[in-house]
Amino acid sequence: MNKQADLQRRALVKGAISASTLAMVASSGLILPRRLLAHWPNDAFTAETVEDALRALLGEAEIADDKQIQFKLGAPPSYAVNGASVPVEIHSSLKQIERIAILVDKNPNPLAMSLELTPDVALPFKSMIKVAEDSEVIAVVRAEGKLYRTTREIAVDIGGCA
Amino acid sequence: MAIKARDRIRAKLQDEHTTVRVLLAHPMHTGRGKNEQDELIPAEFIQDIRVWRNDIEVMIIKCGTATARNPYFSFQLAGGASGDRIAIRWVDNVGAKGTAETTLP
Repeated sequence: MNKQADLQRRALVKGAISASTLAMVASSGLILPRRLLAHWPNDAFTAETVEDALRALLGEAEIADDKQIQFKLGAPPSYAVNGASVPVEIHSSLKQIERIAILVDKNPNPLAMSLELTPDVALPFKSMIKVAEDSEVIAVVRAEGKLYRTTREIAVDIGGCA
Repeated sequence: MAIKARDRIRAKLQDEHTTVRVLLAHPMHTGRGKNEQDELIPAEFIQDIRVWRNDIEVMIIKCGTATARNPYFSFQLAGGASGDRIAIRWVDNVGAKGTAETTLP
């Protein structure tokens, strides 16, 4: 009986310790939000060329041009009146996609978005990006350890990177 | 911001997929834009968005400054059942945070 009580006490102490550790982690995160984002790839997002951004994001890797990525841009296609919100849609028949990156060649910082997917996520993925001027937009997909890239041209009337 | 808009999330079950649409209320200043007084507006943009389904993390979206104002995302999740909870959480570069959650009907 005594032993039982002791075991309960131990469990309680253990629980209290782990709870306080969790609270500490959470509070340090609240005080220093930047630390939480230590994994935000700053180099990749502030790179000024597509090559630098890709190198910082994915490491140097061979990229194959690929037709298995369907990539829609602008509405009507390849044209946008307002560069501040250009619809983009990515669809692919590739299996096991781990990562998708969207880059706009002529933006001051080309990397617009980087997605990390789990097998639970199915495409298409749609979003809106800013495009500064007439440019190439590049979608890079990593699937099964290989990189694929698809490029589309877009014309914009009003640049949207302010 | 004059009107306080809210983050919105919608999810629906369709052909054995869960379609999720997310609309966040955020100005997404790049740090290059100017206000009426011709002063630079400091950068303020969402950097990291996490998506959960029933407390399992399914996707991470990392944004640069080239994500449009009031970011919109739409994607699908394989499978899904009525009652699934889909939640997202975002953090921007100045440390502001937001969450949104919905339940599959």
